[in-house]
Amino acid sequence: MLEASVFATILCGFFGIVLKKNLVMKIIAMDVMSTGVIAYYVLVASRDGLFTPIVSDANHDSYADPVPQAVILTAIVIGLSIQALMLVGVMKLSRNNPTLESSEIEKNNAL
Amino acid sequence: MSSPIQITTIVWIALPFLVGFLIYLWPKLDRWLALGMTLVSVGYSLLLFTNPSPINLKLLDNFGVTLVVDPLSGFFILTNALVTAAVILYCWQPSKSAFFYAQAIILHGSVNAAFVCSDFISLYVALEVISIAAFLLIAYPRTDRSIWIGLRYLFTSNVAMLFYLVGAILVYQTHHSFSFAGLRGAPPEAFALIFLGLLVKGGVFVSGLWLPITHAESMSPVSALMSGMVVKAGIYPLVRCALVLEEFDPMIRILGVSTALLGVFYAVFEKDVKRMLAFHTISQLGFVLAAPEVGGFYALTHGLVKSSLFLIAGNLPSRNLKELQHQPIATDLWIALVIASFSISGFPLLSGFGAKVLTMKNLVPWQVIGMNLAAFGTAVSFAKLIFLPHHTPEKPPERGFSFWAAIGLLLGGLVVANVVYYEAYTLENIIKPLATIGLGWVAYFLIFKRSVLYLPRLLEQFEHLIGVMSVMLILLFWMVLA
Repeated sequence: MLEASVFATILCGFFGIVLKKNLVMKIIAMDVMSTGVIAYYVLVASRDGLFTPIVSDANHDSYADPVPQAVILTAIVIGLSIQALMLVGVMKLSRNNPTLESSEIEKNNAL
Repeated sequence: MSSPIQITTIVWIALPFLVGFLIYLWPKLDRWLALGMTLVSVGYSLLLFTNPSPINLKLLDNFGVTLVVDPLSGFFILTNALVTAAVILYCWQPSKSAFFYAQAIILHGSVNAAFVCSDFISLYVALEVISIAAFLLIAYPRTDRSIWIGLRYLFTSNVAMLFYLVGAILVYQTHHSFSFAGLRGAPPEAFALIFLGLLVKGGVFVSGLWLPITHAESMSPVSALMSGMVVKAGIYPLVRCALVLEEFDPMIRILGVSTALLGVFYAVFEKDVKRMLAFHTISQLGFVLAAPEVGGFYALTHGLVKSSLFLIAGNLPSRNLKELQHQPIATDLWIALVIASFSISGFPLLSGFGAKVLTMKNLVPWQVIGMNLAAFGTAVSFAKLIFLPHHTPEKPPERGFSFWAAIGLLLGGLVVANVVYYEAYTLENIIKPLATIGLGWVAYFLIFKRSVLYLPRLLEQFEHLIGVMSVMLILLFWMVLA
């Protein structure tokens, strides 16, 4: 069930990127898609248990897998910086293309 | 515990990033620092060729970063170093801002990192750093157009990398490890998703149609960097996977042949010099994938020749081939253009010949027709450049030392690289490429010189690029199941 919702999120994001006209909406859709991917990593990490693997006195037998969590942390940071960079680019473009429709921008900058 | 060469490897990976930041702090030394870094990379790759056994590095236990360096990566690293060095020489006079050199060296470092890693997550990080650095270089002129081209590139590659990440976690789920070898036994979806990411990044087959506009519309030095090495960062993992896992080898070969044919088909009909070169990049990447065992040498020769062609194209009076036929170009420029075109068509004496012979030898029987057709197409499309009119102008245009240093380095590299496969020079081997080139030229004069066919650019539009990814995903999935 959770897995299905995660995939639904990824697909929603993907279709958003294809179907939305506005460049800012496209970037938001990409963010939705990456949220889905991040959620999937967290889901895989929690297959064997939910407890955070931290050394302590309390003894649990089912710990979450720390590797996917550590990996996705890197991916979150990279995703954030790419989105920031894209938004700066969009800000620059918006000066001459106020509607920010990708098809319009493409036409204005064609050969 | 760790041998000197392992320490050298780690220092060499970290160095470009350090140099990149140092350039910001000390902008006066920008060009010297950048050039010095590429020399270090050249030295390191030569060290790899003398060290036949692969270097394996495992940082931090089983879950950590794994690196593999062997002569195959040596070829790719050498390509990267030579292309970057040539671009930096090209941009010596008039000089660009320190920002440009810093980004170029960071790009160089991240491409190097992609050539040594052997697990999916380090590869992911390397590829994303490449996207960012490449975006900044494409958008360097700060015009609306360059920013849009850059955004397109960043968007496409980031979406592809999201698919790739899903694939990577599926691999982890099966084996509790991210290494390339873990792809064996992983579910087919994992395979399809990871390959989609790499195919888009590497500009292979229809998912590579983002490439022509990006490469053609950037500044010439940036096009040279992109075509010469950045796309190879996506190709190298594919080659590596084909070598590690034999069962994927046929699939990579199929993709190689179809890419070679698709690229050359567009290139033959293209009327714009830079776009033709960009389509040729797609086609040549197909050659690299068609015979993965010897892909390294092909990648080296292609990197050298394609970056020199892009740098020369930046100095032509026009980009339109029809206009160039009425507007003679300077003879010195024409000679450089002809040497590069001969190499890419596979003419003896230049290493493009050796690379092509070696690739053709390592094909499996069903590939031969396709690849010969692609080689024929290459000869046809480069006839367009070879037979351009030329003259010696009374007042030679000022082309400084830096242009000739860059071109000299690249073309000299093409001649020297012959030593890698000097066994190619037998009578039979020499006759075949000459016949292909001859036929190509005849076909050019009879048919293609007059052709006015313009292929539609529908598939290169932004929405379609993203849409094609889903089609490609289904195709890959189906290929794995078959």
